[in-house]
Amino acid sequence: MENYTKYKLKSNDELVSLLAGKDNLFIVACNKCFKEFESVDEPECGELEKLAAEQGKTITGSAKVDFLCNKIQTEKKLKDLLPEGTENVLVAACGLGIQTVADLAGMPVFAASNSLNYRGYHGMALTKKGCDACAQCYLNVTGGICPIVDCSKSLVNGQCGGAKNGKCEVDGNKDCAWEKIYRRLEKQGRLEEFLNQPVQMRDYSKVNFKAVNDYVKSVRETRLDGYYGGVHPSERKEYTEHIALERFPDPEVVVIPLSMHAGAPANPVVQVGDTVKVGQKIGEAAAFISSPIHSSVSGTVIAIENHGHATRGECLSVVIKSDGKNTLDESVKPHKDLDSLTPDEIVEIVREAGIVGMGGAGFPTAVKLKPAKPVDTILLNGCECEPLLTADHRVLLEFADDVIFGLKAILKAVGAEKGVIVIEDNKPDAIALLEEKTAECSNIEVVVAKTKYPQGAEKMLIKRVTGRKVPSGGLPADVGCVVSNISTTKAIADAIKTGMPLVERVVTVTGERLKKPGNYIVKIGTNTKDLIDYCGGTIGDDITIKAGGPMMGFVLSDTNVPIMKGSNGIIAVDTDHTVEQPCIKCGRCADVCPMELSPLYYAKYADEENWQGMKDKNVMDCIECRCCEYICSSKIPLVSKIKTGKGVVRGMK
Amino acid sequence: MLITQLKAKETIVSLVDGKKAFIINCQGCKEVHFPEKEAAELEKELAANGQVTGVITTDYICNPDNMKLRLQKHMDEIEAADVVLVLSCGIGVQTVAEYLEEKKVCAACDTFPLPGFQGVTPLEYKCDQCGECYLNLTGGICPITACSKSLVNGQCGGSKNGKCEVDGEMECGWERIYRRLAQLGRLDALKCPTQIRNFATDEEVSK
Repeated sequence: MENYTKYKLKSNDELVSLLAGKDNLFIVACNKCFKEFESVDEPECGELEKLAAEQGKTITGSAKVDFLCNKIQTEKKLKDLLPEGTENVLVAACGLGIQTVADLAGMPVFAASNSLNYRGYHGMALTKKGCDACAQCYLNVTGGICPIVDCSKSLVNGQCGGAKNGKCEVDGNKDCAWEKIYRRLEKQGRLEEFLNQPVQMRDYSKVNFKAVNDYVKSVRETRLDGYYGGVHPSERKEYTEHIALERFPDPEVVVIPLSMHAGAPANPVVQVGDTVKVGQKIGEAAAFISSPIHSSVSGTVIAIENHGHATRGECLSVVIKSDGKNTLDESVKPHKDLDSLTPDEIVEIVREAGIVGMGGAGFPTAVKLKPAKPVDTILLNGCECEPLLTADHRVLLEFADDVIFGLKAILKAVGAEKGVIVIEDNKPDAIALLEEKTAECSNIEVVVAKTKYPQGAEKMLIKRVTGRKVPSGGLPADVGCVVSNISTTKAIADAIKTGMPLVERVVTVTGERLKKPGNYIVKIGTNTKDLIDYCGGTIGDDITIKAGGPMMGFVLSDTNVPIMKGSNGIIAVDTDHTVEQPCIKCGRCADVCPMELSPLYYAKYADEENWQGMKDKNVMDCIECRCCEYICSSKIPLVSKIKTGKGVVRGMK
Repeated sequence: MLITQLKAKETIVSLVDGKKAFIINCQGCKEVHFPEKEAAELEKELAANGQVTGVITTDYICNPDNMKLRLQKHMDEIEAADVVLVLSCGIGVQTVAEYLEEKKVCAACDTFPLPGFQGVTPLEYKCDQCGECYLNLTGGICPITACSKSLVNGQCGGSKNGKCEVDGEMECGWERIYRRLAQLGRLDALKCPTQIRNFATDEEVSK
C-alpha cells in the first residue's frame, strides 16, 4: 500500500524563520490517517524537535495524536497536555488539525506543515486518483472509465488528437484515456451507442461550499446527538413492525437450559420421570448472581442432559415432554396489589419469578433492583436500536399497561423518583400510545430519542437522557440510574399480577432470507428450528442465522437450540463474504465508538499479542456493540480480537 | 469523505431503457451520506416493472477484493441483466466496471467534492488543501475558507457590521482573524510582507 500523506513539513528555511523570536515550544504532530497502520510512532515530532533544538529553542514537550481533526477527542487529549511555561504550540498536521488545535489551545499556534491536496483519493483508493468528484458523472458514457481523471486534459468528448501510439501527448507514460474507453466499449458492443452520443457539456461552476457545509454540519449533529459516535444501519424493521403478536403453537418438547442468565447456572430441582406443571420451579438459583428456572409446559421430565445452547455451545438443560394441557402450578397465583407490596416483597417476587434482563445480557433483575447506591431515575429502554428486531416495539403497543405497571413496580422497589420510557423516533405509534397512557402519571415521562445504534446500551441511554456519564468500569447505579428492558418490565408486571414466572417471551423471527417474518409469543425452551420452520423456512442457501439482531446477535451454526429468556430475535440474513484487509487508518472506528475508544489499536495489538497495550488503551471499557466492525472499511473482525484481548487482560494482575 | 446524489430520474430510466438491471447499493460511507430512501424508491419502481434481476446492498465496493467476493455469489443475476446500475461514488462505479469489463456498468449517482473534509470526522469546511498553509499569519483561522474571496492580505473592504458582503450570514473572515490575533496579543503578525498565492494545479503543488 502506498503511504499516502496529507501533509508535509514546511521547508527548513521557512521553519527557521517561523521559529525566529519564539521560544518555549510545545510540539504536536498528527499521526497521519489513510495510510498503512505499521507504526504507532510517526517521525514528524522528532524532525521538528531536532530542528527547534538546533535553533537553541526550549521545548516544553511534544505529543503525537491520532486524528487531530476529531475535535471532541482532541479536546480531551489536549486538556492538561500543555505544560506550564509553554508559550507557543507548533503543529504538524493538515489544515484541519492545525485549526482544531488553534481553536482549543488558548495560545499562539503555528503550522509546521502544508496540507496536500488529495481530491480523488476517497474511499479505499489510496494508491491512485480515481474520481474527481465533478458532480456530473460521465461514467455511463465511457464504459466506466473516468475521462476527467484518466485524460490529462479531462476531455469529455473524445480524443484531443494528440495521442501517439496510444500514449498521451502530455505524459508519454500514460495510455490515452479515450483509446481505453473506445476499446472497452468496443468489447461490450456499445460503439454505436457511444459514437451517437450528443456532445457532452461540462459545467465548470464552483460547487456551493455553503450548501455542502450546512449539509455536513446537519449530518454531524445527527451523528453526535445525545452521545458520541454510534451508527445508523438500515433498520429493515418494515418486515415485522406492523405484524401483531401471534402465539406460537405449543411445542411437544421443550429444552430449558439451566443457564439463561449472567452468573452461576441454576441447580436442577426435578428428576427424570417427574411430572411438572406450567410455572413450576425446575432449577434454583445457585448463587447471589444467578436465577431460578421454571417449566413453560406441563408434562414429564424426560431428560436432564447437556444440550446445544445459542451462546455457550452446550449447557445442562431440563428436557420436558408436554402433555398438551398447560396445567398451572399451584404456586402461580396473583400477589397483593402494588400499593400493598413493600419494596423488598417486589424484589423477592422478581427474584422468585426468575426474571433476568431480556435484552440479551441476562443480568438477574432482582440484583439490579437492590442497587448499592441511591437511585433517582429508572430508564425503560424502549429503543430497540438493533436493526430488524421489533419484539419490544410490539410489546409496547400490545402490553402498554403492563409495561407501565412494571415500571411503577420498579420505581417502588428501588425508591426512585422518576421513571423515563425512552423510545426511538422510528416508532411513532408506540410513542403516541405511551404518551397518552402516561399523561396522568406525574413521575413517568416518555422521551423520544433520535434513532441511532447503540442507543439501547445502558451507558449510552443514560448519557442521552440524563447527560450523566457512567465512570469507566462503573454501573448505572453509580450515576443514580437503573435501566430496564421493555420485555423484562412486562415480565415483572406478569409476575406480580398473575404470579406467572418468566416462562415465555416475545421473539421476532425475521430477515431478508426468511419466508414469513413475524412476532411470536414463544415458550422458553421451544426449538429454534421449529420456529423457523413455522415461519416458512429460509430462502436459498448460503445464509446466516443469528440469535439476536444483526449487530450483536450470535451466529447459530446449528439451529437445534432452544429459545431462552434473552432471545429477542431469530434472524436469517445474507452471509457476508469478505476477507480481512490491512488497516488503512481511515479512523472511522474511532469516529463511531460510543465509548470513545480507538478500536484500530485493538486490531494491531491483538495481532502483535501486545496485551499491555490493549489494557492501556482501555479495552475493558469496550461494550462490544460492534459499531467499529460494522464501519470498518477493511472488514477487520475487531470484536473477536477485542474479546481475545479482554480475556487475557482479565487474567493479568 | 464525499456526498453522492441520485441522478435525475429520467437519466436513470434512460440508462435502463426498459431492459433488465442488476443493482448495487454501496453504503460504506453512508454515515456521511447515501441517498437511502431515494435508492429504495427507485429499486421498487424498477422491480415493479420486472426489470430487476437482483440487488445487493453492500459497503466499500472501492475495495476490489471484497467487492469481488461479494459479487461472485450473484454472477447469475448479473449475467441475466443488461446493465449493472451502481449507486456509489465514482470510485465504486469504476471498481465494478473494471471487474465486470464485458458488462455495461452505469453510475446512478453523481459525486460531489468535499475538499476541506479530508479529516476523518467531517465537521465543517475549513481547509482547502492549498498546499501553502497561511495559518501562521492568521492566528489559526484559514483565510482561504473563512473569507468568501479567499483573500490572503486582509479585508476586501466590503464587509458591513462584521458580515461578509458575499454572504450576509457569514462573518468576515478577516475580522475573525483580527480578533483572534488581538486576543493572542499577536497583532504584529499583520505586519508581515504581502502574501503571494500560488495558484498552480493540484498536481504541481503536490510535487
